[in-house]
Amino acid sequence: MRLVHYVNQFYAGLGGEDAAGLGPQVLDGTAGPGRLLQQLLGEDHQIVATIVCGDNYAASDPAVSAELLEMARTADAELLIAGPAFGSGRYGLVCARLVAAAQAADLPAVASMHPDNPGIGEAGAAPVVAAGAVARQMRPTLERLAAAVAKLATGAPLTAEDGRVGGNARIGRLVEDRAARRAVELVLARLAGDRERTEVPVGGFDVVVPAAPVDKADAAAVALVTEGAVVPFGNPDRLESARATRWLRYPIEGVDTLVSGTWESVAGGFATTLANADPNRLLPLDAARELERDGAIGHLHGEFFSTVGNGTSVATAKRFGVEWAAELRKAGVQAAILTAT
Amino acid sequence: MTTLRRVVHEVHSVELGPATGYHEHHLVVGREQVESLFADPALAAVRPRLASPGESVRIITPLDVVEPRSKGRGGGGVFPGFLAPINRKRGPDTHVLRGAAVLAAGYLPRNQEGLIDMSGPAAPLSPFSRTHNVVIEFDPAEGAPLPDAEQAVRRGLLRLAVALADAAVDSAPDAVEELAAPHRPGTATGGLPRVGVITNLQTQGAFKDVFVYGASMAGALPTLFDPAEIEDGAVVAGQYGHPALRNPTYLHQNHPVIAELRARDGQDLRFAGVVLCPEPVEQAGKEHVSAHAAWLCQAAGFDAAIVTKEGAGNADNDLGMKVDALEAAGLTAVALYAEMSGSDGTGPPLVAGPRHGAVVSLGNYDQRLKLPAVEQALGGAHLRIIDAEATAAIEVPVAMILGALSPLGAGRLTCRADPPAVGLEEVA
Repeated sequence: MRLVHYVNQFYAGLGGEDAAGLGPQVLDGTAGPGRLLQQLLGEDHQIVATIVCGDNYAASDPAVSAELLEMARTADAELLIAGPAFGSGRYGLVCARLVAAAQAADLPAVASMHPDNPGIGEAGAAPVVAAGAVARQMRPTLERLAAAVAKLATGAPLTAEDGRVGGNARIGRLVEDRAARRAVELVLARLAGDRERTEVPVGGFDVVVPAAPVDKADAAAVALVTEGAVVPFGNPDRLESARATRWLRYPIEGVDTLVSGTWESVAGGFATTLANADPNRLLPLDAARELERDGAIGHLHGEFFSTVGNGTSVATAKRFGVEWAAELRKAGVQAAILTAT
Repeated sequence: MTTLRRVVHEVHSVELGPATGYHEHHLVVGREQVESLFADPALAAVRPRLASPGESVRIITPLDVVEPRSKGRGGGGVFPGFLAPINRKRGPDTHVLRGAAVLAAGYLPRNQEGLIDMSGPAAPLSPFSRTHNVVIEFDPAEGAPLPDAEQAVRRGLLRLAVALADAAVDSAPDAVEELAAPHRPGTATGGLPRVGVITNLQTQGAFKDVFVYGASMAGALPTLFDPAEIEDGAVVAGQYGHPALRNPTYLHQNHPVIAELRARDGQDLRFAGVVLCPEPVEQAGKEHVSAHAAWLCQAAGFDAAIVTKEGAGNADNDLGMKVDALEAAGLTAVALYAEMSGSDGTGPPLVAGPRHGAVVSLGNYDQRLKLPAVEQALGGAHLRIIDAEATAAIEVPVAMILGALSPLGAGRLTCRADPPAVGLEEVA
């Protein structure tokens, strides 16, 4: 079977963060982890081409996945492989979007990602098999991926036995007992010694490791981003007041302060009266301009990003975070101030 | 501690008429009485409407929901702090119009738009699809501050709830239910564990507050509270965030966890009591209240506590910190959480939560539901948040169905990763 493999700029050997803005390109045959993957696959399946794209270029725009898919089509792919992306957010997001697009276009596809990769939710119904958290686990990750590719090539669906992750959907359903009764049952079971019983897994929350401080703040490009739903007055782009599905960007080049009546918050989760009397208190443009004038920061990025955090799912919020990071890195921004409500 | 007697009068049908009355399970709501009970400078007009179970009716932008209750003549009144004095000098009998509810519906600034469908796939999800509802539509007066209009609506709802129940106090009841006071600490348990409930109340200012004896709990410490007082309406809702995650007054009056603990009292456990807590918005306040609640439960001799919340985000942290504080103090704790795992259910289920204890699932906030068109809509003509006509066929998240993820545990939704997923409509 003719396989096409997607990897990012780093694994293709084209460069690290400095090359993350590279546009898509096609290489003949294998590149990077594709070489070992080809060995593991044997002679039945050939990686005929490798598609490469810089993480920032690819992750900042969902439309790039259509471009990448078209390149795979042009290379006569019969099956598409993406990754392994391990725990990398931008790479994982692109891999997930690409296999989702391929599956939607009836091209069999599989991605390899760590189960906690923030992009995993974007794979939709397309299969993702588990990768290790870091590249040190390359060999066992590729062994699993090769086995999954061989199985998928026969037309058989991938299951948890193949290391498939995601898709383990927690879906609401009606049961006989109301929640209050189930709470009493649960407390009695725990008192009777069953300390493991729970209806939702407890703990396991992400720990965010802070990035290193900015080296030279007075030379840094700084961006303002917010989940406080700051938008031009009247909300022309119809940002949701709750349960965001998207984020927006607005230029602030030459704007020194957010004037009440010109900007507003449409957030549904808190009383916006005070925020709308002075939108700078949600997005501190006035203070940032002052720091810029005083030379405390290099310069303020020319646009801000805005969404609403109220009721937005963790998976969606993670995706926004990855997209924002890719956008800001692409624009050469070194630091961002995220105001939350 | 008080022993309370619920004198139950069932409502099987409801109509609007010239004068309020109750006869053989049929409730008549007097139009003129509604107007006089809602008379307030902040309101230009009110319109009583009706919605009963099974009808092709959608109530949009619902606000609070109240169960009609009355103490009868000389009984001292219900809703202390709003309509009755806060003197605890009330009689033992509380008349309840079971099967009826009064609710307001309409636009207010922080009223996140929700809905109640009286039939169809969303009906099994809302506690208020099963009640005969007197729906009050309202127009704020020209130029009236909206917080004033909100207070006028709330006061009107409480007055109407009392007036309707007053009409039934001379009728023979369908049932009389004795509600014993909670088990006293230090008395014999018969070897049974003492289990109580902690109920967190939202305290975020106008349109985001819950009232205890007529005042916000903001700034207060957790307190032991008489469940008989809650039956008589000492806790009144004024919080209009997340429709599925609200606790309307009706559900405080019929607190599901208190009811379930009472049902098991003397069999598997001793009902140890109720603790009410504010949900402060600052981290230090959350830590203080969590620590104090754990100490209070210990001092009151609880072996275990079931902890409930209202809202999301902020409230998820209060709930998680409280459970962790209880477990660290050696108590067994269980929390009730709705999951927010995305429309396909594959994301992380909790935004914030406990690191110890156990969690009951209330269903998935983000799950999508397809609702068919309805013949009639009450409360408004247009759902702004999804830009749809109120009567149209729509697709909405469970988050929009009033009380569908009831943090007090009124609902029958849960999430499980296995067996293989089926849609809500397949099991409803």
